[in-house]
Amino acid sequence: MPKFPTQEWASEYVEKLNSNPAYKDAGKNWEGDITFVIRKDDSFDSDAYLYLDLHHGECRGFKFSMDSSVVPESEFKYVGKYSNWMRLINKEIDPIQGILTGKFKLEGSMMKIMKFTKAAKEMVSTASTVNLE
Amino acid sequence: MWFFRSPSVVFGEDALSFLNTLDFRKIAIITDENIKKAGLLDMLRKDLPEESESMVVSDIPEEPTLSDIKERVAAVREFAPDLVIGLGGGSSMDAAKSIFTLYERPDLDIYDITPMVKLNLRNKSRLILIPTTSGTGSECTWAAVLSDEDHTRKNELASPEIIADYAILDPALVRKLPGGISRNTAVDAITHAVEARSNQWRNYYSDIFAEKAMELITRSLPVVLKDPDNLAAREEVHVGASMAGTAFSNSQIGLAHAMGHSLGAHFRIPHGITVALYLPQVVEFSETEAKDSYHALMMKMPEKYRKGNLADSLREFFRDVGQPLNIKDCNIDESEYRENMESLISLAEESTGGVTNPREASSSQLKILFENVI
Ligand SMILES: [Fe+2]
Repeated sequence: MPKFPTQEWASEYVEKLNSNPAYKDAGKNWEGDITFVIRKDDSFDSDAYLYLDLHHGECRGFKFSMDSSVVPESEFKYVGKYSNWMRLINKEIDPIQGILTGKFKLEGSMMKIMKFTKAAKEMVSTASTVNLE
Repeated sequence: MWFFRSPSVVFGEDALSFLNTLDFRKIAIITDENIKKAGLLDMLRKDLPEESESMVVSDIPEEPTLSDIKERVAAVREFAPDLVIGLGGGSSMDAAKSIFTLYERPDLDIYDITPMVKLNLRNKSRLILIPTTSGTGSECTWAAVLSDEDHTRKNELASPEIIADYAILDPALVRKLPGGISRNTAVDAITHAVEARSNQWRNYYSDIFAEKAMELITRSLPVVLKDPDNLAAREEVHVGASMAGTAFSNSQIGLAHAMGHSLGAHFRIPHGITVALYLPQVVEFSETEAKDSYHALMMKMPEKYRKGNLADSLREFFRDVGQPLNIKDCNIDESEYRENMESLISLAEESTGGVTNPREASSSQLKILFENVI
């Protein structure tokens, strides 16, 4: 069982995302890449980046690293500290409410992403199905 | 962590006269032709502070677009008001919010009006919203809706900073509201109350506002429709609609709005009719996930409408006030409705309302919900 965030977690996440029919459906008109940015805090001592190339309901590729310089630039970034990421994955934080309360920051067009909130929610639900150590 | 946000609210008989206790000197009034014709603009002007000057933008179209706003903001800028008043229904109040924002911040792209951007408004002026229908609740919300240029989609501009400084709820402004509009706007407010009370984002504050709104509107709307001059009943519906606006602004709307917005983009039907058309279906569909919320709402309705569950109670109420329960009664052609089915579904899926609804609907479940009103 992989730890969050690690290469193993990322690859299991992408596999689960690609086999989630609800995500495939909700994201079918989405084009654009996004990076999950995990900021270090008291419980995790490094920043981490998960880049996802999302296209028409499919994740065509990903890149995980603790080093921002090796991760491709993306249209969107969803940024939060590690402990909030854990709460998001445990479904204690709603992804959009997370933005509105300042626990997460979205870089990129809010207008565009608001039309795909169902896809965003499925991305989070999928994260919660990846078993954690 | 979550918030409760609301303007200061002035309500009841003579509430408009609150305006002449204020110190503003230059007042821009944003409204539409019908309001002017109905004499409501004159009513408002009588209550403006004596020493103040005012300018009027009285040609806000229904469902304004971004270019409608931009065309009108220049004159406001030139006048340089210290107060912007939005007088009217949802379109005029949303236009006032947008004009106020662009007047304050000419450098801003209107699509930057999102909750994540600090706008720093109120360097030049303040915003007061005065509804002349009892339904949209826009006077209490932190969003403004602008249509795309081709009117197929709506964009929601949202920021806590575009909440009005004051909302003024004067029942005299809705006294002459025709029966049809009174009903169409009030059933919108009922839908706001039901969706706010049962939403995944519901909270202590939104629950209370939603329940009181449900009580006031279902008690007094039937009275208003039979006796339009009953000012006490008018006031209850007016305040109730505003409370329903506060409820959904602090929670969220749900699937009936997602579906109603989609229907409204395909067929030109008043917003309230579209959302209320789907509400009993959505309530029935979501019942398993919102039992307690729905029960609480049903218990706020007058006893004669209660039919064991909220969906049937709403149907009973809607029948009584003449709100259509199927597309035929909305004058929608069945074959045209069916032809548009796929696009009705996909547009509904783009709306945030569906995501925070107590129960999420898949595409095939949405199709059934759309078909159930044929
Ligand atoms: Fe509405």
